[in-house]
Amino acid sequence: MKTRIALIIAGVSALFVIVAVCYYALMQFAEEKYSIVLKDSSLEIVDFAIEDKEEITNDVPPNPLKNPYFGDLHVHTRYSFDAYVFGVNATPYDAYRYAKGEMIKHPLGYEMQLKEPLDFYAVTDHGIYMGMIQEYGDPNSPQAGYEWAIPFQNINREENRTLESMGERLNLFSLMAGDGYLERPYPVWHPKMWQAIFTKNRQLASKAFDYGVHKSAWADIANAAEENNEPGKFTTFIGYEFTAGTEVEGGNLHRNVIFESSKAPIRPWSREDSLNPMDLWAWMDKLRTKGLDSIAIPHNSNGSNGEMFEVETYYGTPIDLTYSETRMRNEPIVEITQVKGTSDTHPLLSPDDDWADFEIMDGRVGARPPTYSYPAGGYVRDAYLRGLMLDWKGQGNPYKFGLIGSTDTHLGAGSFDESNFWSKVGVVDGSPMSRGSIPLTEKRLEQLKEYSEEYNQPVSAVEVDGNSYAIGFDQWGASGLAAVWAEENTRESIFSALRRKEAFATTGPRVSVRFFAGFDLASIDVNAESLVERAYDKGVPMGADLFADGDKVPEFLVWAQKDKHSASLQRIQIIKGSITNSGARPSERVFDVVCSDGLEVDPSTHRCPDNGARVNIEDCSITDNVGATELKATWRDPDFNPKDKAFYYVRVLENPTCRWSTWDALKAGVKPRSDMHKTIQERAWSSPIWYIPVPEDIDIFAL
Amino acid sequence: MSLKPYVRIILFFLLGFIIYLADITMNYDEESKDIFISDQELDGLFAAWNSQVGRPPNEQEALNIVNDFIEEEILYREALRLGLDQNDRIIKRRLAQKISFLKQETDREEPSSKKLTDFFGKNRDKYYVPATFSFTHYYFSKSSEAKNKAKSGLSEIIELGAPSTSEPFFLGKNFSEYSLGEIEQAFGPELLVAFKNPNLNTWIGPFSSSYGEHLLFINNQSLGYSPEFSEIEDLVKQDYMLQEQDKKLNDYLDSVKAEYRVIINPTYEF
Repeated sequence: MKTRIALIIAGVSALFVIVAVCYYALMQFAEEKYSIVLKDSSLEIVDFAIEDKEEITNDVPPNPLKNPYFGDLHVHTRYSFDAYVFGVNATPYDAYRYAKGEMIKHPLGYEMQLKEPLDFYAVTDHGIYMGMIQEYGDPNSPQAGYEWAIPFQNINREENRTLESMGERLNLFSLMAGDGYLERPYPVWHPKMWQAIFTKNRQLASKAFDYGVHKSAWADIANAAEENNEPGKFTTFIGYEFTAGTEVEGGNLHRNVIFESSKAPIRPWSREDSLNPMDLWAWMDKLRTKGLDSIAIPHNSNGSNGEMFEVETYYGTPIDLTYSETRMRNEPIVEITQVKGTSDTHPLLSPDDDWADFEIMDGRVGARPPTYSYPAGGYVRDAYLRGLMLDWKGQGNPYKFGLIGSTDTHLGAGSFDESNFWSKVGVVDGSPMSRGSIPLTEKRLEQLKEYSEEYNQPVSAVEVDGNSYAIGFDQWGASGLAAVWAEENTRESIFSALRRKEAFATTGPRVSVRFFAGFDLASIDVNAESLVERAYDKGVPMGADLFADGDKVPEFLVWAQKDKHSASLQRIQIIKGSITNSGARPSERVFDVVCSDGLEVDPSTHRCPDNGARVNIEDCSITDNVGATELKATWRDPDFNPKDKAFYYVRVLENPTCRWSTWDALKAGVKPRSDMHKTIQERAWSSPIWYIPVPEDIDIFAL
Repeated sequence: MSLKPYVRIILFFLLGFIIYLADITMNYDEESKDIFISDQELDGLFAAWNSQVGRPPNEQEALNIVNDFIEEEILYREALRLGLDQNDRIIKRRLAQKISFLKQETDREEPSSKKLTDFFGKNRDKYYVPATFSFTHYYFSKSSEAKNKAKSGLSEIIELGAPSTSEPFFLGKNFSEYSLGEIEQAFGPELLVAFKNPNLNTWIGPFSSSYGEHLLFINNQSLGYSPEFSEIEDLVKQDYMLQEQDKKLNDYLDSVKAEYRVIINPTYEF
């Protein structure tokens, strides 16, 4: 009996020793042979600054009253999986050359050039599989032989970049956008699998992924930004797009992540790491504790099926103060307009806003077949109202963001001009016929039908006035620009302008707008040279909070200047949203505050009279000598309640001009489509100013 | 005490297995593994640190630097031992880069001044310094009255010191060291005529821009000019050397290309 017990004890201890030694041996082996170490690879920070770059001294003195700078913070190049699939060969270096005013070529061969260079620019390629697709496309790369790479082989050779390749390209895009195609997991025992687990890098577990290629693509993007950054003259940012969405509803939750300096993580944190933006913020917070600040800029909320500005978290739990603070710390700015439509508001959400039906894109981003996106929760004005309501309930305000525009071009080159529009994704929308502004020829229609059948899709064409037109890109447009009020054109200055939300958005033209609020602004002489200085002195600028001063009625100062290459200004509006203090009942109103041509705002309707500006659809000419080069005014809110939480933002409207689709038709010598807007009113939006009433202690009981 | 035979056998195998594991972990490889770090290497490491941080490392930091260096060396050797350098395109590229640098660097003789001046002569346009202007202005927004207001504004400046009807300009009042391109971007092309041989340090105008009328006081202009060779000799030298380096690499490539025979499948279909 005793021997038995001794035996068992001996056996168990021997087993224990064996297991311990095995584990030790395995870890040694893993570390030596496959460098499997326990660490989080996404938190490794690298300084991409170029060592022996010639120091450019910035001798332009900073302007304490701030200058407007225009740029684009949403630009893709060939390193983005979809851009490459759509035929784009432009590198990040090409993108920066374009932003500085040089000409680069569209994948279909024509030239793209800006009228005037931009002040800042950021290449933001998709984080997911960054750089991999061009490896698949390159027949000499180590990836070339694999089955998943074969469909991509040589797609971007000159002779393959044809309009006819459109169907196939769209299909490749859908293949990749759908999860699973690129997930070619190694077997569990494979060291790569363990490396993936130990370094928290899920991508490593896929055979279709090459970490070396991925890292060097990211380093190249960062290097292009570093090379082109010229303090005082031209600013670049290192950034990328976090391309995630909700799994079930297919809501787009895309964001651009912009880093403040030459430092950035060794790899972009992508949808492979998580689909949940809350995880993205947690990661950004961790980087922040390591001394690296960054912001995430959501875009295309219009195509999010209402998911972008939900009243609950990603998990479906209620929003709380921590959530609100975390979101605001990481997302002070939202992209309100871009090629894929404008997200100010929707006619269903703002039935009383006569200008709400503007460049509405009503489909979900990237969905195939095109799928309707529900507006509520997808538009900026709605989000601001929801923010007030959440704040009222004590959950904090997660939607207190400022506004910019950007293009989301996938060509390296933003398309800002309606009269010279090239859309944004290359071969598939680079010609008028493919974006639905001129009728399809018999042959192209036949092709479309064939592809649709082959890939089991509804035919993406529509019958209008007896002609067939392609659909899918017809709701896109030549928009938008990011603009900031900054002391100087440097990274630090522009980044902090974005942080404090002293930023505005335009739909392409360089319309600039100043916006201040205070309780004694009406006393300022708007024709005095010291106007701006005194406004900063007595008020707060766009993006800021205005705290209640007793029952005083706030006053606002607006000042806008037209783009000299674009139409004149028609009016400035202030959009007010508020909720009642007694029951969080939301309301919104649009006030015209100053009209062009000396016209007066009607005091009862708060509308400017017609200034007579018209567009001749036959040749897109516009009425001469109507409209203003600049507009400015001070304004008092006529139905103000000092207890109600409110926000105010400016909308500047240009006189109407031809939409790109009308220009396309005009150039092709055909009639513009009757079911589309023929003209648009280009516009600019300021970031809001929030009115914060004196806090009141109301007990709120949820049922 | 006697054990049953099968227990003995199991114990025997277990012991054997333990000894085997201990052996492979402890005596993993017997080849020489000395890492020798010379004084110069240490100096170099510390100097690099110094140049980045701005002060010499303290003891702990020095230890870390050396440790990192050792770890890198070890990883490098282990990678070589496993043959990870073979068939790696990045390493190939890096080595190709290295030899290009080497070939560009070799034989770095001082260029003669004759060569430099020739190079400068050929590339004169590249060194053109554009004109810049520093100025202040009064602005009268676009209207039918603007021109007259500006004209009377000019006489008011002389009499009263400032015009009574001027307005603030959106982009501000004072502009320092603006090139003609920047002026065009801020005011539109119309205003450029004002900067053609302007009278300095006096109020001039009115001039039209895209936004209205302006009275200008240009207090400083640096004319655009082609700098003399002597002023930018260093820059020219730098550019010349860069060009020479490229040339050297190409010469080198041409010379060794001849020694290579390239074989490509003649039936390969493009």
